[in-house]
Amino acid sequence: MIQFNYIAAFFLIVLGFYTIVTKYNLVKTVIGMSVMDYGVNLLIITIGYTPGGTAPIFTAGELTQASYFVDPIPQALTLTSIVIGACVTAMSMSLVIRLHESYGTLDTREIRRLRG
Amino acid sequence: MTANIFLNGLQYLGYILIFPGFLFCFVCGMLLTGIDRKLVARMQKRVGPPILQPFYDFFKLCGKETIVPAAASRTTFLMAPLVGLAALVVIQLFIPIHGFSAFSGMADIIVILYLLLIPALAAILGAAASGSPYAGVGLSREMVTIISCELPLVLILLAVAKTVGNAMGTGLCFSMSDIADYQVQHGSLITRLSMIPAAIAFAMVIPGETGSHPFDTAEAETEICEGMHAEYSGAPLAAFKLSHAIKVLTLTSLFVALFFGGIGTGLVALDGVIVFALCVIATALFISFVHAVTARLKIEQVFKYYWTVVSGLALVSLVLAWYGM
Amino acid sequence: MNLANMTDYHHFPIYAIMVLFLGAFVVSVAGAKPSGNLKNPAGARAWIALCATGLSLFFLVMLIKPVMLEGEIIAYWMGSRAIAGGYAIGIALEVDALSLFFALLIATAVFVSAIYSIRYMVHDDCVPQYYVLYCLLAGGVLGLVLSGDIFNMFVMVEILTFAAVALTAFRTKVYGALEAAFKYLVVGCMGSTAILTGTIMLYAQYHTLNLAQLASLIPGTLNNATKLAFAFLYIGFSTKAFIVPFHPLAADAHGAAPASISVLISGVLTKSGIYGIIRLTYFLFQTMNLGSMQFMLVFIGSVSMFVCVTMALAQHDFKRLLAYHSISQIGYVLAAVGLSTSLGISAGLYHAMNHTLFKGLLFLAAGAVLHETGTTDLGKLGGLSKKMPHTTALFLIGAFSISGVPPFNGFASKWMIYQASYQKAVETNNIGFLAVTIIALVTSTLTLASFVKVSQSVFFGQLPREYENVKEVPFGMRLAMGILAVLCILTGIFPNTVTGVLTQPAAKAVADVGEYITAMGFKSNLPVPEVSFVQVGVWEPINWLLILCIALLALTIVAVAGKYDRVSENEGEQVETKYQLFYGGEKNVYSQVGGGDLFWGFKHNWRHYFDFMHDLHSGIVNDYALWAVVALALAIVYMMIVL
Repeated sequence: MIQFNYIAAFFLIVLGFYTIVTKYNLVKTVIGMSVMDYGVNLLIITIGYTPGGTAPIFTAGELTQASYFVDPIPQALTLTSIVIGACVTAMSMSLVIRLHESYGTLDTREIRRLRG
Repeated sequence: MTANIFLNGLQYLGYILIFPGFLFCFVCGMLLTGIDRKLVARMQKRVGPPILQPFYDFFKLCGKETIVPAAASRTTFLMAPLVGLAALVVIQLFIPIHGFSAFSGMADIIVILYLLLIPALAAILGAAASGSPYAGVGLSREMVTIISCELPLVLILLAVAKTVGNAMGTGLCFSMSDIADYQVQHGSLITRLSMIPAAIAFAMVIPGETGSHPFDTAEAETEICEGMHAEYSGAPLAAFKLSHAIKVLTLTSLFVALFFGGIGTGLVALDGVIVFALCVIATALFISFVHAVTARLKIEQVFKYYWTVVSGLALVSLVLAWYGM
Repeated sequence: MNLANMTDYHHFPIYAIMVLFLGAFVVSVAGAKPSGNLKNPAGARAWIALCATGLSLFFLVMLIKPVMLEGEIIAYWMGSRAIAGGYAIGIALEVDALSLFFALLIATAVFVSAIYSIRYMVHDDCVPQYYVLYCLLAGGVLGLVLSGDIFNMFVMVEILTFAAVALTAFRTKVYGALEAAFKYLVVGCMGSTAILTGTIMLYAQYHTLNLAQLASLIPGTLNNATKLAFAFLYIGFSTKAFIVPFHPLAADAHGAAPASISVLISGVLTKSGIYGIIRLTYFLFQTMNLGSMQFMLVFIGSVSMFVCVTMALAQHDFKRLLAYHSISQIGYVLAAVGLSTSLGISAGLYHAMNHTLFKGLLFLAAGAVLHETGTTDLGKLGGLSKKMPHTTALFLIGAFSISGVPPFNGFASKWMIYQASYQKAVETNNIGFLAVTIIALVTSTLTLASFVKVSQSVFFGQLPREYENVKEVPFGMRLAMGILAVLCILTGIFPNTVTGVLTQPAAKAVADVGEYITAMGFKSNLPVPEVSFVQVGVWEPINWLLILCIALLALTIVAVAGKYDRVSENEGEQVETKYQLFYGGEKNVYSQVGGGDLFWGFKHNWRHYFDFMHDLHSGIVNDYALWAVVALALAIVYMMIVL
């Protein structure tokens, strides 16, 4: 069943791309970026997952040869990635607010003073 | 030891100041322009000025007052002609005369290509510094002419490098003095099939680079008052006139060195005369004759001509050279 | 820990990074209380940032001797957690000559830009934020190039992208700043996501994030997942290098950011992308011996250099024009690096260094113009050389350098690139590389044309009336520009020393991947390669310069003796007012030839191309995102086919 996770992860990434490319609303663009991030997070977690593994929380005495747990590194990576994703959303939303103030619109087709 | 260094230094100083440096450039360049003016006049059934007229003009201009426009940036305006002149003389030092080069192994053909930009750039900056709108138009056209000539020149020089490299077995040869040596031993490059289109293309580049008819859009006396030189007077103008004369010599002698380098005797003085004679022929054919029979082109026509016809010829040459013909 | 241990140079890389992050922290704390005893908190913050960047530069310079000259590779495990069970557990820094080369470039640019910022930013209202972000950006890039761990590279990429976006939007009142920042953020984030995706896919295959270990494991084991990872990583680093098709973002971001930040975006951020591509192709996957990979890098490099130079010719804003040139020069670097010969790599790195120097200088000059006149529109400026002679001279040095006029540094490195590509063409008997030589040579001339346009429209020509009272910029700003100008000239005059000390060790490091792997404690059976830096051509700048100086001196003496300077300014004596401005008798009118029309003769023939390109760069963020997606798709398809 794990392959559904992979499919979902790449589906989310592609959905994010699709949203960014086709939606002309700045807020939707930001949503697209978030969706893209979630897709990657799902991908990372899925890679670290081993079916039937427990949480990788052991103190010194508990760890034995028979211990069977999921890979902890991707979980650490996901945490980093989630934090970064949150920052991206915050930053882009603040930019969207300022853009709306100075351009009076959220349509990307009208926010194109810099071109050529 | 010190005496040796001193003598060497003196020898190089002699190269720079007398032959093939300043004095040689001055006399030969001026003579070339004089001959050019006379020839054009004769072809147009005029009497024409005496051959020594450029010398008279030069000294007369030197005695005149120099006026700096109030809108100009003074230092750049006055220094530009001198830098251009010095750079041209330096280029002339690197062009071998039938196997003799004053500073052998110091420059290759790509370096020469870029050194040729310096005088043009000096003239452009001088013109820009004058602040005149005529100079502005002139410099824009000059720059477009440079862009136009650059592509064919690049192709020609790369073709030459490949041809000589093939023949020498090294694959590539950029060194100017090696190219000269090769021709001394194996005859002129023009005798090779692949070099004939390149030579023709180079001959077409000469009037463009020197800014003579029909590619003199950058000066266009009747239209934009000599363009880049509109605000120049007195000695700086004389320096520009001299630069132009030396540029004619430089390009024709580069042409001779690249394609007719095999003609000579081995005696430096005699070879100098031979090269000069070849330069006169080249000037007569590619500058005077073309001048007499053509009218000025528009700048976009100049560009189109160089990037299609001339570059096409040069490209043919490069492809032929690539396949070893 | 005793002092002798702490001053061991093996710690210097982490010091160089930490001092910048620490600087960011201290800046944010310093002067937080307005009633503090510091009279000028803004000034104090500037000095803190300057000290941090200066210290960082110092630590890196101290590494030149062991790393560059003695060829040591510093493998540094954070917290001494080295390898366990054959896998790299800890976070590592690995500093070879390539890393150090880029780190030195970055530290130099950051330091000089910090000097410049002191006076340049003095009138801005958000100075504390500026210096915090500034130090973060610097630390991020430095961390990226010194890191020995691919996930850390991703984290640093995010830090620098954030800092760069924030600094682009920093002057919110500047025309287009917010818009540029948003576009940059969107596409930059797509790039970062691509890097993360690629990284995690490599982790899934090899269960390690260490660069050296990946380099020892990947080659020979490529499957579809790793090919996909390669494509993702490649596109991710491409967005950081702004190469085609990501160049419009560079133009927007450079133009809107303050000049001191443009220097970092152009001189530093693009380098981090190039660094990533080199690490990816030469080290991790070791695919550069494939003709198809060489073709890809050289092709993209050539397209970048040509497309961006033509885009630059069509610009009428000083900084935007510089931004396009920046990417054009990065194209040179990429094409040279893609040749995959030692000479090519050395030439490419040399050009990367020169690009940092001259592009920094040019952006600072643009900043000086903006600082004094309040605009960078080429159509509104003119004649500033009379008011700002030093800035003009410094600008001209930068312009000559980037245009490849001898004897400045741009010529030395470009000339090596011409040779490397032509030599490669002859060696492989592939006429495609010859086309690179030709494109590079023609691009160089077009660059010159574009800078003639700038000098005519900004510094020469006539001075508009509203700028009658413009003054020269403060000394601090001129000092920063002067440092870069001197470096431009020195690196141009002593090409052999520069290549010998800096770029050839770096090129050797690129060639010798096995050493990079074993230095970290992993096994490698890669042979030690033969490297040769033989060039066909000759260029001796010192002798040439000596001859030119003698010739110029002789001429000047004759000119002075001949009363060349016997000049009468045509004011005063002239009765007729219409001769006051020009010898030619023009009235006192402002009749400048506009920058946009300057190369009409050239543009006319190419008008369809220029129109097409103008429409293509539509400024809509969706389009740029689409380009990114298409580039990613193409990269994936290409990798699947050729690898």
